[in-house]
Amino acid sequence: MRQLLLAVVSISIFALNLFGVDATLKIEKDVEQRARIALMDGSSEQSSKVFKILLSDLKISGHFLPDSTHHIGDLSSNYIIPALKSQEYVIKYAVDQRSGAKLLVRLLKASDGTEIFKKSYAISSKEKMPFLIHKAISDINNILQYPSISWINRYVAYAVYTTPGRSEIRLADYTFNYKKTIIKGGLNLFPKWADRAQRNIYYTSYKGTLPALYKLNIYNGTKTKIASSEGMLVCSDVNNDGSKLLLTMAPEGQADIYEFDLASKSKTRVTNFKGIDVNGRYVDDESRIVFVSNRLGYANVFKKSIQGGATSQVVYHGRNNNACDAHGDKIVYSSRESNNAFGDNTFNLYLTSTGSSDTRPITTTGSNQFPRFSTDGSVILFLKQSGRSSSIGYTNLSSHQSLLFPFNDRKVQSIDW
Amino acid sequence: MTHKLLLTTSLISLLLIGCGQPAPDLAGKNNISDANHIEGDTVSIDENSYGTGSTGNYNSSSDGFKSIYFGFADYSISPNMENNMNHNIEVANTAASKIKIEGNCDEFGTDEYNYALGLKRAKAVQDSIAAQGIDPSRMVLVSFGESNAVCTESSESCYERNRRVDIRLMK
Repeated sequence: MRQLLLAVVSISIFALNLFGVDATLKIEKDVEQRARIALMDGSSEQSSKVFKILLSDLKISGHFLPDSTHHIGDLSSNYIIPALKSQEYVIKYAVDQRSGAKLLVRLLKASDGTEIFKKSYAISSKEKMPFLIHKAISDINNILQYPSISWINRYVAYAVYTTPGRSEIRLADYTFNYKKTIIKGGLNLFPKWADRAQRNIYYTSYKGTLPALYKLNIYNGTKTKIASSEGMLVCSDVNNDGSKLLLTMAPEGQADIYEFDLASKSKTRVTNFKGIDVNGRYVDDESRIVFVSNRLGYANVFKKSIQGGATSQVVYHGRNNNACDAHGDKIVYSSRESNNAFGDNTFNLYLTSTGSSDTRPITTTGSNQFPRFSTDGSVILFLKQSGRSSSIGYTNLSSHQSLLFPFNDRKVQSIDW
Repeated sequence: MTHKLLLTTSLISLLLIGCGQPAPDLAGKNNISDANHIEGDTVSIDENSYGTGSTGNYNSSSDGFKSIYFGFADYSISPNMENNMNHNIEVANTAASKIKIEGNCDEFGTDEYNYALGLKRAKAVQDSIAAQGIDPSRMVLVSFGESNAVCTESSESCYERNRRVDIRLMK
C-alpha cells in the first residue's frame, strides 16, 4: 500500500548529485538547528528550473535542510504523503508561465497538514519568475520567524567585457537565472548600487576624454553626471544613507581615495600615497575605511580614519591581497596564493575583522575573486573559476553552507550586490 | 484483504478526482505588493548614441608616438624602452595639441587595482617626458586597466603587448 502511494504520488526526479545548480555543498554547522522541509510541485507543467531555484533559496538561507527530491503531487489538499512525514514542513507550490509568471505557495506542517501560510504571486514578465520564487521563500522564512533573508530578493549588478574597449552592465537575480543588459555600447565599468532600494546605480563611463561617474535611475533612465577625473574614477562604496561616496580618483595622476559629499559636491582626500590606494570601503560606524594599497611593496589591506591619522595594516597574511569588501567590522579579502605570472592563479577568500587579527578561510580551491557581502553581512558572493568553468558562489557565514551557480558570461570586470 | 482492496481503490479514485480538478487560480488577490522594484521594468541604454567616444580603436599609439611596454605587475620604465621614450620626447616637443597618455594592463589583475596599475604606468611615462622640460599640464592621463587589450591570445608575447602605455594627441 505504502509503495503504491509512493509510486503514484511522489515521482523523484532529482537526487542531490544530479542537481546541477549546486556544484558544491558543504555542511559544517549542526544540521539539527535547521528545519527539515520538502517541496511538492502541484503545477500542471512541472519545471525543473523552478524547483532548482526553490531548493537553492532554501539551502542558502541557512535555516532549512531541504529534501532534494522533486516531489510531484496535489496542490490543494492538506494531505502529506507518508514519505514526507519525517519533515517539519512541506511547501506545496504551483507555477504557471503561460502568460507572465504566476506562483502559488502553501506552507504546511508535515505532521498533520495544517496550513501555516498561503500566498499567490504574479508578475507580467515571465523572465522574472526567479524573483517571484525568491520572494515566496523570503516570505516563508519570515513567517517561520527566522532572521531575514531579504538579500535573496536583490539584483546583482555586474559589468562584463564584450570586446577590447567595450563592456556591458547587466542585472541578474542572485542565481543568475534572470539576466538583463541595462547599459551597452562603449566602455562602462564599476557598477555600484546607489541606494538600498536598488533604484539607482553609479557607474564609470569612458565616453568622454576623462573617466566620468554617472548615476542612472534604472527604471526611468534619468542619468546624472556626478564627477570626472583624470587617470581613473571608481565609486568604491556608498554609505548607508546614500549621502556620501568613497571614490578612487586621480585628479593629480595619483590614485587615492576620496570621500565625496553628494549634497555639497565637495570631496575630502582620505589617503595620500605615491603608490596605489584603491578599493575603499566604509567600516565600523563609517568613520573609518579599509582599502587596498601597495605601500608595503605588495597589495594588502589597510585601514585609517576618514578624519586623518595613521594608516594601519589589517591583514598579516598573504603577499598579494588585492581586493576586499566590508560590512560593519567584517572584512573579506581575496588573496593570490600562487605566483604564476602567465596563467591561472589560485585566489582564495578570507574573512577577518577590524577589531581582530583572526582570519578564517572562506574558500580553499580555484580562483575566487570579487567578494561582496550581502546587505546584512551574512552571506558572501564571489566569482569562482576552476579551469575553464566559471561560477557565481555564495557562502553563508553562519551556516557555512555554500552554493555555486554556473556563470556563462564573458570576462567579468566588476560586481555589486 | 477486501478491506485493503477497498482502501486502495478509494485512494486511487480520490487521486484521479484530484487530477481532474481545474488548475488553481494562481493570480489570486494576494499578489505581491511589497516588491514593486521587481515588477517595474528596468531600462536598456545604448551608450553608442552618446557622442563619438568609442574606445574600440584605441589599440596602439598614434600621431607618431611609440608604445612603452612594462614587466609583469611593474610600473617602472625598463632600460630597453629608452629608445622609444627618446623618440616620444622628440614627438612631444613638437606636438601642437595636448598629449593623451593611456595606461593598460594584462588580464591578470583584478578589479580596481589593475586600473591603478595602468595609471601608474601612464604616470611613469608622463614623469619621464616632463623630466625633459615638457609642461605636465600639456599631458592628460587615463587608465584603461585590462579593458583595452590589443591581443587576446594566451601567450606571454600577447600579455607583454597588453602591458603598455599608448600615447596620442588629443583630438
